Amino acid sequence: MKAEESIKLDLMKKFAIAEDKIRVTRARRLFVELAHADFEKVFVYAKDTLKFGHLVSITGFDEADKLAFMYHMAHDNGVVLNLRFSVSKESPVIHSMTKYFPGADIYERELVDLFGAKVEGLAEGNRYPLTDEWPRNEHPLLKDWKPADKKERAA
Amino acid sequence: MSIISKVVTWARMKSPWIIHFNTGACNACDIEIIAALTPRYDIERFGVVLKGTPRHADVLVCSGPVTRQIESRLKRIYEQMAEPKFVIAVGTCACSGGVFNGCYNIMGGIDKVIPVSMYIPGCPASPKAIMDGAVKLLASLEEKEK
Amino acid sequence: MHESHKFKIPIGPQHPALKEPESFSVALKGEKILGVEIRLGYNHRGIEKACEERTYIQDIYLAERICGICSHSHSSCFIQCVEELAGLEVPKRGLFIRTLIGELERVHSHFLWLGVAGHEVGFDTLLMYTWRDRELVMDLLAGLTGNRVNYGMNTIGGVRRDVTKEQLRKIKETVDVLEERTMYYIKIATSEPTLINRLSGVGVLSREDTLSLDAVGPTARASGVSRDVRRDDPYAAYAELNFYVITDDHCDVYGRTIVRVKELLESFKIIREIVAKIPEGPIAVKAPRRIPAGEALSRYEAPRGEDMHYVKSNGSDKPERVKVRAPTLANVQAVKHMLKDRYLADLPIVIAAIDPCFSCTDRMVRLDRMDKGQSDVINWKQLHDYSLGWHREHGVDFSSLNERLKKAL
Repeated sequence: MKAEESIKLDLMKKFAIAEDKIRVTRARRLFVELAHADFEKVFVYAKDTLKFGHLVSITGFDEADKLAFMYHMAHDNGVVLNLRFSVSKESPVIHSMTKYFPGADIYERELVDLFGAKVEGLAEGNRYPLTDEWPRNEHPLLKDWKPADKKERAA
Repeated sequence: MSIISKVVTWARMKSPWIIHFNTGACNACDIEIIAALTPRYDIERFGVVLKGTPRHADVLVCSGPVTRQIESRLKRIYEQMAEPKFVIAVGTCACSGGVFNGCYNIMGGIDKVIPVSMYIPGCPASPKAIMDGAVKLLASLEEKEK
Repeated sequence: MHESHKFKIPIGPQHPALKEPESFSVALKGEKILGVEIRLGYNHRGIEKACEERTYIQDIYLAERICGICSHSHSSCFIQCVEELAGLEVPKRGLFIRTLIGELERVHSHFLWLGVAGHEVGFDTLLMYTWRDRELVMDLLAGLTGNRVNYGMNTIGGVRRDVTKEQLRKIKETVDVLEERTMYYIKIATSEPTLINRLSGVGVLSREDTLSLDAVGPTARASGVSRDVRRDDPYAAYAELNFYVITDDHCDVYGRTIVRVKELLESFKIIREIVAKIPEGPIAVKAPRRIPAGEALSRYEAPRGEDMHYVKSNGSDKPERVKVRAPTLANVQAVKHMLKDRYLADLPIVIAAIDPCFSCTDRMVRLDRMDKGQSDVINWKQLHDYSLGWHREHGVDFSSLNERLKKAL
């Protein structure tokens, strides 16, 4: 796992990330926990310098009083670098990464619909994946959201 | 093959024109419906014709558990069909919601939205089951006409 | 939504259909596409949420039904995460069987695609031929797993059914027949001018755009981008098998056709190697009900391209979070780009060429005629018929080819 370990050391040194915030879980897999303020510069460094040129997807998480977002970036050699940061639920504002990866568009819309993220810089467009009639303040992937409520309300 | 001779009888009496609609299915049932039309099963030689528009169709063949996004479209397609019209729910999802029963974006089966004449379960329903169901539906109509 | 706001599009009682969500909104100037908006989500079922409320074993059955064509792909991709979290080492024989089913799935899916592509351009004999051949694969899969689709072959820790020597022999026999038929399709694809002309220069995506728009699967490989998870991030038994990653430089729908037919040959090669090399031994290890806390990300090269599953476990028998990114979603941006400045009549085959994992048979298409200031809504069949008619007017007609080949069917 030499490649993975060297990426870990590089990120630790360059961005002053603590060792316990970067985990190499197995060959070709790194998971990094970042402060929101550091995210974009690490993301751009990973893309442009480390050549993680493929954004596989973005995963949202409901973490009690926070929302977390994990960006899955892959290298041609198969290594996947997963960068995660969290924001408060009161102000879940993140920035669109579509300027670096146009493909991020659909993944970011999913975060808006399912978690209530507010993505600055995301172009106008159809929501995804929920219907236009679905209320904008109902986010089904939040842990305390229950399907039964929805059915009653629709009936 | 008694199924085949029944279908031939049925087709001689009535050549049903069908429209196929996917209400949010995984596609497995849809492929089996279309497979029923291709050489090995070849339902078209019995006069069953796949049409593109509801206005010319007698039978609406539906797959899928009906997602919220597609619900109004399903209703509209049914409304556009002229009487007499019949609905076949193909696959366990179309019958009851299947494995997706309880999911937040699912109505839970075709009959939650429009009346169903024939239920063909299976995950997916096989082409043979689809043909068998279609034959049984038309045999029951034959009975009614008598 | 569309860049030009110069024209008012009347929306009112004369277009009641406009109230329904259209899957495609096409801004047109004459016959040319200015831009396309694609609305997905009509088959959003809420699977990720459902996964959190069900056990890992129940979630395998959900994963299988995300897409009925890539059913084994999704189930394997999911299970790979869970096996990693549980620290399980799947026995070699189990991995070989899992890979075998995966390659048979690729074969049936590519035959299906060839038929659908043929149908979209009016080459219906190709649909009849390829779906007839596909039935041989469906028979094999039904014999091995008990079902034509949704095989239920995977379990956490391995596979549920073993294969017999007799079944392996039958697989090899069938692959020989399929290979001969595939050579015939390759011959058609590379020598029938009607087909070559129809598919060439359509849905163009340069290598640079493929990389910047981050496309996956045969769509990317047809633009010279050598991306294949089986080689780049090996899983199941792929690290021990020999195969080429097929690329092509046409950068268009023709290229995507060539990639898929050649991939069929690679799949036959892999299947033969599995049949020859499959080791003896157990097919699964026992898995715990509660999965230790952790997170895992798994990738799989489905017939359509890279599939991704991410699972976060919390020590219970239910996952904390399951994220699925199916391959078609990754190609959405690329498709929008492919359609700019192209003819409306090419839309059906360009969409079909990314091999979307959604049924196109009934999608509504809104045409915003920017030069006339009006909108129509048509269904997919009407668009399909328009496309065939337009191409016939422009000299592309498959009737004689269909006639000629029907006799040989």
